[in-house]
Amino acid sequence: MKNNIKINELCYATLSKENPNSYETYVSIGGYSAWKKIIANSTKPKDIIDNIIDSGLRGRGGAGFSTGRKWSFIDQNSDEIKYLVCNADESEPGTCKDRDILRFNPHALLEGMLIASYAIGAKVAYCYLRGEFIDDVYSSVKKALKDAYQNKLIGKNILDSNICIDIYDLIGAGAYIVGEETAMLESIEGKKGFPRYKPPFPAEKGLFGCPTIINNVETLASVPEIINKGSDWFNKIGTDKSAGFKCFSVSGHINKPGNYEIPLGTPFRDLLDLAGGVKNNKKLKAVIPGGSSVPVVPGDIMLETNMDYESISNAGSMLGSGAVIIMDEDTNMVEVIHRIARFYYSESCGQCTPCREGTGWMYKIIDKIIKGQATLEDFETLKSIPHMISGSTICALGDAAAMPVESFIKYYEKEFLSYISKKT
Amino acid sequence: MIEKNSYNFSNENENKLNDWILKFPRGQKKPAIIYALHLIQKENKYIKSEHIDAVAKFLDIKKIDVYEVASFYSMFELKKTGKHTVSVCTNISCMLNGSDNILSYIERKLGIKLGDTNEKFFLKDERECLAACCGAPMMQIDHKYYENLTTEKIDKIFDDIENEK
Repeated sequence: MKNNIKINELCYATLSKENPNSYETYVSIGGYSAWKKIIANSTKPKDIIDNIIDSGLRGRGGAGFSTGRKWSFIDQNSDEIKYLVCNADESEPGTCKDRDILRFNPHALLEGMLIASYAIGAKVAYCYLRGEFIDDVYSSVKKALKDAYQNKLIGKNILDSNICIDIYDLIGAGAYIVGEETAMLESIEGKKGFPRYKPPFPAEKGLFGCPTIINNVETLASVPEIINKGSDWFNKIGTDKSAGFKCFSVSGHINKPGNYEIPLGTPFRDLLDLAGGVKNNKKLKAVIPGGSSVPVVPGDIMLETNMDYESISNAGSMLGSGAVIIMDEDTNMVEVIHRIARFYYSESCGQCTPCREGTGWMYKIIDKIIKGQATLEDFETLKSIPHMISGSTICALGDAAAMPVESFIKYYEKEFLSYISKKT
Repeated sequence: MIEKNSYNFSNENENKLNDWILKFPRGQKKPAIIYALHLIQKENKYIKSEHIDAVAKFLDIKKIDVYEVASFYSMFELKKTGKHTVSVCTNISCMLNGSDNILSYIERKLGIKLGDTNEKFFLKDERECLAACCGAPMMQIDHKYYENLTTEKIDKIFDDIENEK
């Protein structure tokens, strides 16, 4: 089975080539032909949006919302200035898929950004990279931008068509919360990254008060090939509701950690095989299938699950960003959730009380548990916190902090209790 | 009157900042704060109050707006740091691959605790995942990535830095 899996055909299509991130390499595999075709044919923006809706492409940043439908929320008839923002603030723990697109196939992203900008009527697009990418990742993007400008694919009067789209690179400065789309808009505007109340949604009132669409790197980098090969091609890959390819970052206790771009709906078993299986021939204990924000899934359930949005949801978790974290039979689950809870406690922006206080309470109690100082009453308190956070905050960070704690307790309560009984 | 401890952007940084501002709609001054602070930190290693004042003056905005950004984003250091910033990732994928041992090894090697600094190195208390999970355990030194760390590799990396002029 595993030999039949098509891997790295879309966003990672240049990875097997020499100088994967060069303009020449991208052009040699048909790069920028979708963009040139759109310009030559003066394709109607609405046709592009319909095409992307039909393809079934869903947001690859975590939420999994239909990309084409998101674009369609922009009022095409409005004269307002519109913006496209590429979310390259990759920071969901376990996720490193976008970094490889940015480093090795940045032109696919730029072409996707051009097509998306054209479709929504934006003349300016921003690519916001997390601050920690300031060295090699940022250099790769800057070089790609320079080459695309030189080849007149971006900028004023693109390929003598009178179409003008500028793409600007931006760099953050370290804040997980800025990956939340409205926090990113605040950050671009030069403020601290506090998520905004919704509504109004960014498509109505976004960056600098103008209609704005924010898409993930992988989402945008998937667009050119859909235009080239057609929505049917993409839609036939994967499952009914989860179409196309998806990049999975497989990390943790795994023999061949790495990014694997595979058809959605591929059995988890096959992905595990592809990544060389659990390290040291150990048994699989648990998997976090979509980044540290999603519920943990016990290994035996995961082994019967396919890698698509619906199957993972049926297994009690979420596909999220596609970060697959593998844990072997010897993993101490209390230590793992202790680390995850520390992260959300550090990264809560502090705007909403349930998240600001709740993430602190959860971390402090788990810390007490791990130090053998907690009572059963503390543990009961811990159990009561997640549902007091979920749904009571402006953005999803609260839920992202609550869900892992809830799931670790659900499946591994005995491990927590063993720390508590040690005390007596 | 001569202002005490005032800071002026170098010509080079002033030009860079003026170019950066062109990315934003005319009249928008705040969006350049993050970049301005990056420029300063690159030059001075950490950000002092006179730097905040200089950014506010240059962009013609309130000092508090600059300070708010400087204090919110974790990459900006407001206390004195050593020449090189070392960030060891200890988030989940790295932790599962022994990052706690890697961090202790580096603490012993540099003779400083997590969060502390000496003249040469600042060992940042990094809480974020640095997006190189498939190369765990990993660290950044001055935001350059070092992946699949072992103690031998770490020795070599720091030897090379020590030997730099």
